[in-house]
Amino acid sequence: MSQGSGAELSARIREILAERYHDKHPFNLRMQAGELTREELQRWVRNRYYYQTRIPIKDGLILTKAEDPSFRRGWIRRIHDHDGERPDEGGLALWLDLAEAVGLDRDEVASLRQVLPGVRRACDAYVSFVEGHDLLESVASSLTEIAAGPYLGARADAFEKHYAWIAPEGLAYFRSRTQQAPRDAQEGLDYVLAHAQSEEDRQRAAEALEQKCEILWSLLDGVEWGGRRPALSPAARWQEDGMLVLPERAIRLGSSAREILDACDGERTADDVATALRTSHPEEEHIERDVFEFLEQMERLGVVRMLEPEPLG
Amino acid sequence: MNPAPRLWNLVAELTYRCPLRCPYCSNPTRLGDFPERLSADDWGRVFRESRSLGAVHVGLTGGEPSARADLPEIVALAHDAGLYTHLVTAAHPLDPEGLRGLAKRGLASVQISLQDAFADASDAIAGTPSFERKLALCRATRELGLPLTLNVVLHRRNLGNTRAIIERARELDADRLELANTQYLGWALTNRDALLPSREALESARRVVERESQRSLRPEILFVLPDYFRKRPKACSAGWGQRHLIVTPNGRALPCHGASELDLPFWNVTEHSVEACWRDAPGMNAFRGEGWMQEPCRSCPERERDFGGCRCQAFALVGDAAATDPACELSPHHDRIVSAREQACEAADAAWIPRGPGLAE
Repeated sequence: MSQGSGAELSARIREILAERYHDKHPFNLRMQAGELTREELQRWVRNRYYYQTRIPIKDGLILTKAEDPSFRRGWIRRIHDHDGERPDEGGLALWLDLAEAVGLDRDEVASLRQVLPGVRRACDAYVSFVEGHDLLESVASSLTEIAAGPYLGARADAFEKHYAWIAPEGLAYFRSRTQQAPRDAQEGLDYVLAHAQSEEDRQRAAEALEQKCEILWSLLDGVEWGGRRPALSPAARWQEDGMLVLPERAIRLGSSAREILDACDGERTADDVATALRTSHPEEEHIERDVFEFLEQMERLGVVRMLEPEPLG
Repeated sequence: MNPAPRLWNLVAELTYRCPLRCPYCSNPTRLGDFPERLSADDWGRVFRESRSLGAVHVGLTGGEPSARADLPEIVALAHDAGLYTHLVTAAHPLDPEGLRGLAKRGLASVQISLQDAFADASDAIAGTPSFERKLALCRATRELGLPLTLNVVLHRRNLGNTRAIIERARELDADRLELANTQYLGWALTNRDALLPSREALESARRVVERESQRSLRPEILFVLPDYFRKRPKACSAGWGQRHLIVTPNGRALPCHGASELDLPFWNVTEHSVEACWRDAPGMNAFRGEGWMQEPCRSCPERERDFGGCRCQAFALVGDAAATDPACELSPHHDRIVSAREQACEAADAAWIPRGPGLAE
């Protein structure tokens, strides 16, 4: 590869990150400005943990694509970084420390029961992407690390400044990633610049990074969805035989569906509705997931409207 | 005989009078054969009997249903019968004040037709100034908190405005937008050369709809490629006599609004109960099930999905209502669809005949 095309790709990568990295997502802007409520911050920590759990899995997939032992020796460190050398060490454990520091139950978060469906889809899409693409594209998709290093430092500062109620020990994850991310980013960038030989390769690498940016963005959309307040559409009318009728459809709903809809009062968030159902059905293992998926389906059918969160008073 | 399927949806065609002159009107071309024979009380009985057969929705339509002075009474009777009462209107003569009265009597939702995204174009197709009235009624619908569906029939002259139509629907806060590609029956068949669009125009409209639907859940957009441009026919209204019952202004009970063009023994609600009209009328049973099917439908694995296509289209284009819908590529008469597309393509500037006025105006 000529010097020129390498510099060009490098510039393109920075351009993509400058335009599309999720630091510009409204949710992250509010986080940095100290505008998130405790509940919103908890929602983010709880859901983002699912992303953390996908990272070692996608790095494992990347390892299976590499022929070069020295590449694998380097890359396998990422799995150790996340999983630790021993239990209660590494990035995943540090994230659960953060969860506790924001007032969540460690085991509840680790159970992934309350992960929102949009978040789950975004994270699963990342793993599927790596599964279905070659080593160059997979490594290119990790280059969001380039922007992550500086951003995580700024995030830790913002947390100390705006969310003083969080114990400082809880922020160890951000501090440790501030060290690791630049090293990982450089390693990934070197690989992509060295192996994107043709114009077509460079195009594929850039598109992989764009897709990854979209995934991180939609993860935050998924987090925001959990804070919206489901309300039964004013168009919906119950008939005496228990049928729910809308202009274009009639839906027969069982008693559990009815129970969920009854909880959709336009005040409670989607998360609150799931919590309410969890309380009344402690025996149901997947109740949160069932509630979220039902609400999504009802939203698509126009039965339920997801109202924006209430503005801060 | 098997018990009749459950009735779900009643379409009450209250009158064929209409101040609009749209060249694709789905009313019968022989409007004079359908005098209004049902009083408000007769309709009340039809509503109650339909509800007890299982009907959930009633669509009050026409023609223009608000051409009937007793519409408020009819709305109240439909609502009292326990039906989800939906009004399909061209906003003429109905005005916001009239709509408020209907809402008080239990109206649940409103569908308003626009002919295009802009006043000039819309009024030219409707054949009468009506666009501004329509916008006013759309706003009144939303102010009353009622769900609003916009219906725009698509054809050669407005297909290019698809994006503007979607923007208009968003501006009016519509819940649902039906982009209904013209069905070439009735008046639309008469005017086919002037209405049929090109495949390219349809394809680009379809892409616009796809993009816009991804951008927002509102409005829900319905866009179905017209059967003239598909390999397979569209399903006959969820199956002949399976879900929908249409009652015409003179009381005939039909499985779909096109069926009045067929020479079949349907019954009349002024002479029989709704249950008998639905369950026993020979016309209603003519194409229930699969026994009537000819080849290639009879042995086709897709027959359960599309029921052989549209009976009315088979009759209109082949002369045999039991034939395979010629819109299907497997029909031995599919060449009639192909040549209609070619003919329309050559007749780029064809004029249309506006629909007739209906009765007693």
